[in-house]
Amino acid sequence: MEYKIIPSVCSYCGTGCGVLFKVMNGRLVGTLPNKTHPVNEGGLCIKGWNLHEYVNSFLRLTSPLVKVKGRFHKATWDEAIQVAADHFTSIVEKYGPDSVGVLVSAKMTNEENFLAQKFARAVIGTNNVDHCARL
Amino acid sequence: MREQIRSWLESGEMDAFLGFKEVEGHPIPHLFSKANLAELEGLIVNAPRYPLETLVAEMLQSQPGMKLGVLGDETTRRALNVLSIWNQVSPESVRVIDPDQFAPEEKGARKVFRVSEPGPVKLERGIDNRLGVDAIQALDGDDRVRRWMYEFQKCIKCYGCRNICPVCFCKECSLEHQDLISTGTVLTEVPIFHLVRAVHMAGRCIDCGMCEQACPADIPLRLLYRKVNSIVMELFDYENGLSSDQPPLSVLGEKVVLELKPIH
Ligand code: SF4
Ligand code: SF4
Ligand code: SF4
Repeated sequence: MEYKIIPSVCSYCGTGCGVLFKVMNGRLVGTLPNKTHPVNEGGLCIKGWNLHEYVNSFLRLTSPLVKVKGRFHKATWDEAIQVAADHFTSIVEKYGPDSVGVLVSAKMTNEENFLAQKFARAVIGTNNVDHCARL
Repeated sequence: MREQIRSWLESGEMDAFLGFKEVEGHPIPHLFSKANLAELEGLIVNAPRYPLETLVAEMLQSQPGMKLGVLGDETTRRALNVLSIWNQVSPESVRVIDPDQFAPEEKGARKVFRVSEPGPVKLERGIDNRLGVDAIQALDGDDRVRRWMYEFQKCIKCYGCRNICPVCFCKECSLEHQDLISTGTVLTEVPIFHLVRAVHMAGRCIDCGMCEQACPADIPLRLLYRKVNSIVMELFDYENGLSSDQPPLSVLGEKVVLELKPIH
């Protein structure tokens, strides 16, 4: 019998509640709030309480998918990023940079958000930057 | 106490011991066993209350016959007693180790992480969580209902009160039963959501207080269940976790019968 409790941080929103994962015999079986975590002090919302469900879900994406002729196919990260880059380039060439918008996330770090807006402004050339809390 | 646990683990009298250990600055439930005896030095005895009883039940369901020790107190005993009445754990498999019985001075106070100091709005419109059943009962009827409704409407339907409860284990939870509660909508149906749970806690709740601690909306749930169980005590002379038969209330409505997770 192996039962481990592993502290982590909820990945669903920018609050960043402390959670504990219950791992029995190598399988994630449940989530508990971390009672001494300064952010949530032992509470969680319904998303945090059910984190283990999406990790174990058969619908979970574990690799990038690229759509070819209307159907998704598994791809490597390099392939997927190349496809995205090619499409962005052609869209920007055809319709101009303001046809692209960049949506960032409250769940990312400041540095990642900085990089994302830099990518939008310096690489694509648009000020269309917004984030998930306003969607 | 550590020595005693060590010798039990070494001799095989106990297969594993569920206690707490510090991880990244937090007291985290931890399973000590013969394979990691050295870690017993780091055993923490005054961690906040976690539903260790649920972990025990999960382990025993996956490996019946295992001999477990668990750090706990009288409340833990009562919770395990309720679980064994409902066939969720077999009592001979678990031994509760209460640090108070070994070295009370070593234990110290439980780490308190959130002190509920009601603000002015809660005092005016809601219910101070620190009040007792009698103090609430003494309020004028309409005022009391208004105050409870104010508390209930704050609910964010996180199901935390159910999830953390050591004696909530039904296979089909009535809080997800379509005839009783609509699932998937955000606004909680008040007061039915809370009353359904309160009815289900009649004859079960062992007053550990974890639901209230886990409630992000600071609803005085413990007080509600205390009230319900004072009625059970009055009418049936049944005391949760101390009486050894099943509680007098195990049927709700016409069709919904408490069906338990099978023990295997
Ligand atoms: S538990 Fe809820 S509030 Fe906390 S970080 Fe996760 S999604 Fe956000
Ligand atoms: S106090 Fe709350 S968490 Fe504890 S047994 Fe009662 S209902 Fe469950
Ligand atoms: S813990 Fe509180 S907010 Fe969450 S469902 Fe229960 S009563 Fe509602």
